[in-house]
Amino acid sequence: MRVQALSLSAVALAAGIILAQDPKKPEAKPAGPSFESTVTPVLAKSCVACHNDRMASGGLNLGPFQAPSSIMTQREDWERILQKIRTGEMPPKGMPRLPAEHTDALAKFIHEKWEIADKSIPPDPGRVTARRLNRNEYSNTVRDLLGVDFRAEKDFPTDDSGYGFDNIGDVLTISPVLMEKYISAAERIAARAIGADPLPKKPLSAEYSRKDNTLRRIDFSSAEATHRIDWDAEYVIRIGLPGQRGEDAAPVPLAIWMDGKKLDEKPVEVKPSKLVYFNPHSDEEFRLYLPEGDHTFRVGFVNDEFVKNLSEKDAYNSKKNKYVGSILFEGPFPSKVEKPSRKKILVCDPKTGGDVCASKIISNLAHKAYRRPVTKKEVDSLLRFVALAKTEGLNAEQGIQLAIQAMLVSPHFLFRIERDTTADPLKVHPITELELASRLSYFLWSSMPDDELLALAETKKLRVNLDAQVKRMLNDPRSAAFADNFAGQWLETRNLDSVKPDPQKFPEWGPELREAMKAETRMFFEAMLREDRSLPEFLDAKYTFLNDRLAKHYGIEGVTGPEFRRVELTTPQRGGLLSHASILTVSSYPTRTSPVIRGKYVLQNILGTPPPPPPPDVPALDEESVGNAGSLRQQLEKHRSNAVCASCHSRMDVLGFGLENYDGTGKWRTVDGKFTIDSSGTMPNGKSFTNPAEMRALLKSDLEDFSRCLTEKMLTYSLGRGLERYDRKTVDSITKKLAASDYRFQTMVYEIVRSLPFQQRRGEALKTENKTKEVAQR
Amino acid sequence: MITGKALGRRTFLRGVGAAVGLPFLDAMTPAFAQSKAVTAPVRMAFVYLPNGMDMKSWTPTYEGKLTELPRTLKSLEPFKNDITVLGNLTHNNGRALLDGAGDHGRCSGAYLTGVQPRKSAVDIKCGISCDQIVANKIGSQTRFPSLEVGLEDARQAGDCDSGYSCAYTNNLAWRSETQPLPPILDPRTLFERLFGSGAALPPEARARQAKFRRSILDFVTDDTKKLQANLGPTDRRKLDEYLSSIREIERQLIKAETDNAQIDPKMEKPYGVPADFAEHFKLMTDMITVAFQADLTRVLTFLVTREGTSRPYREIGIPDGHHPLTHHRNDPALIEKVAQINEYHTRQFAAWMEKLKSSQEGDRSILDNSMIVYGAGLADGNRHAHEDLPTLIAGSGGGYLKTGRRIVYRKETPMANMFLTMMDRMGVPAEHFGDSTGRLDGLSDLT
Repeated sequence: MRVQALSLSAVALAAGIILAQDPKKPEAKPAGPSFESTVTPVLAKSCVACHNDRMASGGLNLGPFQAPSSIMTQREDWERILQKIRTGEMPPKGMPRLPAEHTDALAKFIHEKWEIADKSIPPDPGRVTARRLNRNEYSNTVRDLLGVDFRAEKDFPTDDSGYGFDNIGDVLTISPVLMEKYISAAERIAARAIGADPLPKKPLSAEYSRKDNTLRRIDFSSAEATHRIDWDAEYVIRIGLPGQRGEDAAPVPLAIWMDGKKLDEKPVEVKPSKLVYFNPHSDEEFRLYLPEGDHTFRVGFVNDEFVKNLSEKDAYNSKKNKYVGSILFEGPFPSKVEKPSRKKILVCDPKTGGDVCASKIISNLAHKAYRRPVTKKEVDSLLRFVALAKTEGLNAEQGIQLAIQAMLVSPHFLFRIERDTTADPLKVHPITELELASRLSYFLWSSMPDDELLALAETKKLRVNLDAQVKRMLNDPRSAAFADNFAGQWLETRNLDSVKPDPQKFPEWGPELREAMKAETRMFFEAMLREDRSLPEFLDAKYTFLNDRLAKHYGIEGVTGPEFRRVELTTPQRGGLLSHASILTVSSYPTRTSPVIRGKYVLQNILGTPPPPPPPDVPALDEESVGNAGSLRQQLEKHRSNAVCASCHSRMDVLGFGLENYDGTGKWRTVDGKFTIDSSGTMPNGKSFTNPAEMRALLKSDLEDFSRCLTEKMLTYSLGRGLERYDRKTVDSITKKLAASDYRFQTMVYEIVRSLPFQQRRGEALKTENKTKEVAQR
Repeated sequence: MITGKALGRRTFLRGVGAAVGLPFLDAMTPAFAQSKAVTAPVRMAFVYLPNGMDMKSWTPTYEGKLTELPRTLKSLEPFKNDITVLGNLTHNNGRALLDGAGDHGRCSGAYLTGVQPRKSAVDIKCGISCDQIVANKIGSQTRFPSLEVGLEDARQAGDCDSGYSCAYTNNLAWRSETQPLPPILDPRTLFERLFGSGAALPPEARARQAKFRRSILDFVTDDTKKLQANLGPTDRRKLDEYLSSIREIERQLIKAETDNAQIDPKMEKPYGVPADFAEHFKLMTDMITVAFQADLTRVLTFLVTREGTSRPYREIGIPDGHHPLTHHRNDPALIEKVAQINEYHTRQFAAWMEKLKSSQEGDRSILDNSMIVYGAGLADGNRHAHEDLPTLIAGSGGGYLKTGRRIVYRKETPMANMFLTMMDRMGVPAEHFGDSTGRLDGLSDLT
């Protein structure tokens, strides 16, 4: 809605189109305030001098807006005008300010008109297009369905996104390349789930070592290697530890992490052994069950104070230090423990249980995979694969494996399709409880409904237990997916994988710092959600989540070790999302900060009022020659002397300048090259700040825009569609309830789940498609 | 049983004498009958560069026979007689035409489709691209109707360009007006698609896999048709996409049974995406070269990087993002960097041309038997110019184009006219395409 409104109006504004007027009957003269008494004088006094048919400053001619009917016919444009006035962007600097009582009266008058009009609009839950599982959803669903750890993110083509999210039904397409991937992934996944593939008779080995440069150094005692595990099986991981430390050195815990998760840890002696070696050396072993796939393994000492004071020269001197010199993988070895996937799938033994057992296994799986009860016919058609395998001389387990393959390629698995059950598809109706179960689980878990949700839905008890279920789901570890996928896209921290800060300017940038940045924001978001914190904390919290690497980046003392923990912030340098290095990095250029990008980021993702694209005849901002002629600020201020640019940049740049104390990777700074950082600013509404902390306080003092922005984003994500005009009521009511609940974050989740568009749907006319959209296009 | 095991990363495929399995082939019957093509096939390819070009360094100052090549084209010197440099081709539908800002999104969407993409972040609508029109018609002759490759990971979050969906900048090829074809970015994925996952299954296992795959495809086709019965038009369209992809896979399965060439790509299976641009470029084009040699496909789109990309080029000492650099406002220092990036890209392209030129088939080289368009969707990136787009065609399409020349057309000549001429050569003539006004004169016939 808002996003769309803006782009539409931007089109109209930029092109200076005068939209045709709807010649409505003149409205009956109301007794109270009228258009003539509230709107006309303001326009006449402060606006039309520039926005008329001759000048049309910024591409806007207010001529058509002089008519009362324009409030309804050009509502999007009016919304934008009101926003400009409310934020103080208009009238621009240098023009006399409008007295608040005049602007308030104007806004009130127009809003009341809209409210009256909206009352007569029948509630519309909108229509959600069938959604194909995106990559994350696919991986999570496979994990929950079969207990197989499969990473579609590494294998499938990128999902296209719309409205900032990659779970929008309308844009999720299927190409032949993706189809090929589905087919081969189904083969691999089914094979791994049943585990019928024989392991190689002899284990293989692969070594990564410091000597031949196949090991990445993390610090003076830990290192990392990326290794492909080809079978779900046990492996022996042998760590070569050259060197020794002092006679009095205490044992240090040696740990191994896979993809950032600690797998195991054991204490290791680092003092000289009694034996005499020419080169001191010791080996340590871990024997672990590892899942198939490409993984990053890290090995190192935990909380290793010793290396902190070590010089580069001594770090790899075997008389002075003990460090990770090599990592060797040996395997696969059969695991003594039965695969969790087999336990999940084989509810009876198909070898002895015959057709009855096969049928039981298949119907149980299909029920979960299709996220609804299955018919006997469906089970029978899947059982045909068991029979087919048999004719090929394969055993019953292998037949089930084949049936699983078929399920994983089926449209019932790959798509979430909601039916219009009413005779008239356009009629609004509640979605079924089963559809609701899937909406809930993909919203909060990015995965399939679990047994409990399905069971409730099938007995039609989900709606009556809705709050309790949402509560359970939020407390479930699977809700971490919500932080990954919703927050990762809302806050654009996913882009950390593609940004490339200049290593000359930011030598500390690397995978470790990048992952730490992601973790901070993810954990912060999760804490906000799980602990039901209050929304202003997003903007200014007195705590965050750090490990040693990120704490060092922030200049915060006393945080050791790679594990993340909650850290209380004792200085005003940091606080809230806008001081997270993740966000500050994704909103920077590779070589330097950009107040414009950061300002735009805040407007778009925090305040929900993205600036329109620059009008076509305005040159892009002169930003590149920065650093020589004058400070960035001086150059931007020059740019803003152009009134057209100023109307947007006055808002955008100020917010960006407030963050100038953070460099291109979010490190605190007080100078930029030869220029001292000036992070002060005055918002268009006249309020000013002198540093990031004060700016945060200002943002926090008015939560209306932020809570609306976040509600819109989350509603979009939860529905998998863009918001429309008719969703406004829903957004309004949720933000009202939020305010009433002291802005508790979970309130937003509960209210979205209870809302009309989440609970109900309508279909579309069976024939002609989207005529209205075609019209809106022009 | 059903699947083979991927070989480890260090497995060499070369020298094993090994039949490298083909993706859907490794499942296929083993008959080994190489059918000899009577005449060498003609290929059509598009190599797309983002953010326009420094036109001063691109444009030759003369018309007619190519002599001294300008700076950006210098590395193509050895192929001077194999290329045609075209002037004044325009994509009018890349222009705003009342749609406001978003030139990057628009020019990218319009590039091969010739239509103005719908300005929407989600309700995407473009047009079928000319490569796909050709692929639809002649694609059945090869294992892959077309290949889509690229070098830059799609942007995953946020707004792509002023209200234009990322679909317009992430993709070049459009299968239908609503279905873009995402490029393959990871060399390993491309390798596996072209040459198989490396699983050298015994013949009977392959035959069995093919059989299973086909019965699964039948099963889901059946299911989908039942499912579609009472869905609304949009949902039905989604499932149509699904079905048409299924049909495409079925076609590949059948194709693989009849044509059994086993291809030895003579290279190690790549592992992941190289950080170095030139290396990534080389890996992908090496594989494309093999695909052309083995006639696995005749239609290619290659999205070098995305329109609007801010990728830096540290490989040549440029740490600044490409897109911000192109908004140089005529600052010579910035223009110089843009020119360097353009040169760098062309050098990689030239290295590929070298390979194609040295691959003989009959009395011509693969390069000669191809029409490879190398160009950008914008001319001057600084002002988002949509006219006189930098465009050259490498190869003569098997002697069809009279190469070695620079031809300057009348101002505002639609780019779509060039597509029509190329489609003629591919045996897929059309009356018009996009905003075409006719064919390009003087390209295939000397006047």
